[in-house]
Amino acid sequence: MKSIRKIIITSVICAGIAALAYFAWMIPFYQFETNDFSTSIEKIFSADYLATLIPLFIIIGLAAAGIILVIILRRLMAKTDKRNARFAGVRTGRQRGTAPKQKPVLFMIIRWIVMIAFAFVMIWGGLIFGMQMSSLSIPVLSCPWNTEQMTESSCYYLSHLNELFELPWQNILIFFGSTIGFTLLLGRAICGFLCPMGLIQDIMDKIRQKSKAEGIKMNEKMYKAVTPVRWFLVLVFSGLCFAGGNFCNFCPAVAVSPILAGMSTSLYVSGFIMVLVLMGGFFKRRAFCTVCPLGTIMGFFHKISLFRIKKDCQACTECGACYEACPMGIKMIYTERGKADVTSANCIMCGECIRCCPEDNALSMTCAEKKLYTSSRKKIMSGYDPDKNGGAEK
Amino acid sequence: MTVKTKAKTLKERQDKRFINKETQTAAKYLRRLEELPGAPEGMEPFYQALRRIYVDMEPAPKKPGQKTIGTYCVMTPPELIYAAGAVPVKLCSGNYTAFSIGDNVAPRDACPLVKAVAGFKQTGLMPIYEDCSMMVIPITCDCKKKIAGMLSDQCDIMTMHIPASREDEDIEEYVSQLYDLMESLENVTGSRISYESLSEGFRKVGYAQYELSEFIRLKKQNPYLIRGSHAMAALNASAYMPADVWGKALHRVNSSLKKSISEKKTVTSKKLPRILLTGSPIVFPNVKIPLLIEEMGGIIAGDETCMGERGMWDPAVITDDSFDGMIRALANRALRPCPCPTFADNSQRIYRLKQLIKENHIQGVIYHVLRGCLVYDYEYKRIEEELGQLGIPVIRLESDYNEEDIEQLRIRIEAFIEMIKLRQAPEKAAVVRRSF
Repeated sequence: MKSIRKIIITSVICAGIAALAYFAWMIPFYQFETNDFSTSIEKIFSADYLATLIPLFIIIGLAAAGIILVIILRRLMAKTDKRNARFAGVRTGRQRGTAPKQKPVLFMIIRWIVMIAFAFVMIWGGLIFGMQMSSLSIPVLSCPWNTEQMTESSCYYLSHLNELFELPWQNILIFFGSTIGFTLLLGRAICGFLCPMGLIQDIMDKIRQKSKAEGIKMNEKMYKAVTPVRWFLVLVFSGLCFAGGNFCNFCPAVAVSPILAGMSTSLYVSGFIMVLVLMGGFFKRRAFCTVCPLGTIMGFFHKISLFRIKKDCQACTECGACYEACPMGIKMIYTERGKADVTSANCIMCGECIRCCPEDNALSMTCAEKKLYTSSRKKIMSGYDPDKNGGAEK
Repeated sequence: MTVKTKAKTLKERQDKRFINKETQTAAKYLRRLEELPGAPEGMEPFYQALRRIYVDMEPAPKKPGQKTIGTYCVMTPPELIYAAGAVPVKLCSGNYTAFSIGDNVAPRDACPLVKAVAGFKQTGLMPIYEDCSMMVIPITCDCKKKIAGMLSDQCDIMTMHIPASREDEDIEEYVSQLYDLMESLENVTGSRISYESLSEGFRKVGYAQYELSEFIRLKKQNPYLIRGSHAMAALNASAYMPADVWGKALHRVNSSLKKSISEKKTVTSKKLPRILLTGSPIVFPNVKIPLLIEEMGGIIAGDETCMGERGMWDPAVITDDSFDGMIRALANRALRPCPCPTFADNSQRIYRLKQLIKENHIQGVIYHVLRGCLVYDYEYKRIEEELGQLGIPVIRLESDYNEEDIEQLRIRIEAFIEMIKLRQAPEKAAVVRRSF
């Protein structure tokens, strides 16, 4: 009975997504009278830019309103809940003090710098530096409607396969060559280091951590329930173009990068999806990445990509901190007791598991067998070191 | 301390006898620990803490107005207790005198640890037990479950259900139990647990664990800088000291160990067989086995017992800064890394043992089983097989809380250590007659 219900719910969701994807272009979310795709550096510094940013402000406003609404609703629910009412105060009230934190790790700093720099390049790069390497395609979810990005993102042709095959063969070759080349070279490290959608979600997560609001912890069951939706999205992503619709019609990235680049773009369902992505990213770190079709396609190559997560199974105590920290819910990383290579198709190489691992050398990230980042007890306990900061003793 | 007043009734005479015997045994084992050569500087605070509880018979140190919360097992997060403004004290007992009284209270096959607890509670003389405002008892075995019932008529208790596996649902279940614990702690102490006080609790325990990881790193050095018995005494003392005070004391030991590295000073110049002690908990004053091992010429290079390294080794890793995230971190730390045999699938204990064997260059494993401690006894077979494949000899030592079996243990431990010595230096093995 239960499994039938699950199947029905999943197929209803999938059907909804399909309908949304197909009819999305008809449902305006915010519409300009005419879409103006021309942009220049002067435009960005003029007052016109503010007008083009209106849809973005609407999205941010709606997302903020939604997040506040959810928090208020949760607070109300906690107060009226029989079991949890007594903890409502401490769980949802104002929270002073700071939780002990380990000191910033070089790896994470580099990751943030790379993410921000790449997002910058993908939005304004063409305007500032000129269109360089525009014939190369890199598989990130950064909208190619923004014609000013420094390099092409593969998502356009992957979701417009019908158009791709009308191109001259040299272009097809360059497209596949660069896409597959980047995927092999970097693997899903692209998700963790380059993807602007990832940056947006990571920023939302940082905001939540700072505000100490309670998140939503997804468990194994929820991840399992999401998997069919993810595969359906892959189908929509690469197959809908043959049926007349398009993934771009409701892709959340459409609502950000062209607008920021100074193109006045009307918003359809994609803007609304972006609101959901922002809200999801706030309560659950990298919520969209768990269903991202492009990431799933890149995951096919996880067995041969250069970036790998290695585990010393002898050093592991199965404390599960890596699993708790993992935004993609990869359980195998902590249950594995034999293989040294624990790179999973879902792994986005964000390094969070390594940062949270309390055992020396138990987890490490390697690139072509060279260790980039290794877990260490000393690093994780650095927040408690009384000599270097105001720990317990002082 | 002896009772000065003249004993009048039978009860008073019994009490007097109990106190005399109890303090004598504790003082004797403390003396033996102190007399064991090769102790680093700075061990005194730990002996002092043990002496205070068992010889001077005083309650655990605390600030005036603070409440004491008794805990059993490693699954009770001390962070929460500190957050509530109370002091946690581990009540798992190793006392021989209390055991002999508990023998009449608890059934014959109950484990001695539980019998000793029952004995203490029966006499009502031990201040550390009488001082507790509440006891938190994780149900890790049948004996703990029944002792919870027995203690409940004399003291406030809170039982915690320990799941048989460590799946996501079990962690979530345990999180809600920690919220329940939080509420009962608040009721007992009268102060609210807030985000701020919980962070403070994390910092206190985190500091102790910070020093502990440094200590264990130093302890791993080969040749060894500290004897296992001394390390176990220090770790045992953590049960009766506030975490920050204990951390400070351990810091002093750490710096003296670091000094002995630079001076190239080791425990002895001889090459002693390196032994790993695992199995049932070893609680002061039941330190006869570690003492015997070291007196017979071995060295405890690693211990995997819950009053020893295992108890505090794993830190609670905060992956989410919200209040719920911190509670989750506690639940996660309590269940997932814990190699307690209460879990149905406990293969991770074997990996942990293998890790300790590799890191500490272990030559032999002594598997300690308290009589009646079934869960540990169940795991012996598998561990013997697994370690046999590594070529590590394993011996199972069953003991009780009395001194009657001490000679038998001595013979077995001596033989085991001699065997390892022979393996160490095979040229000497020629003396041994191999065939009959």
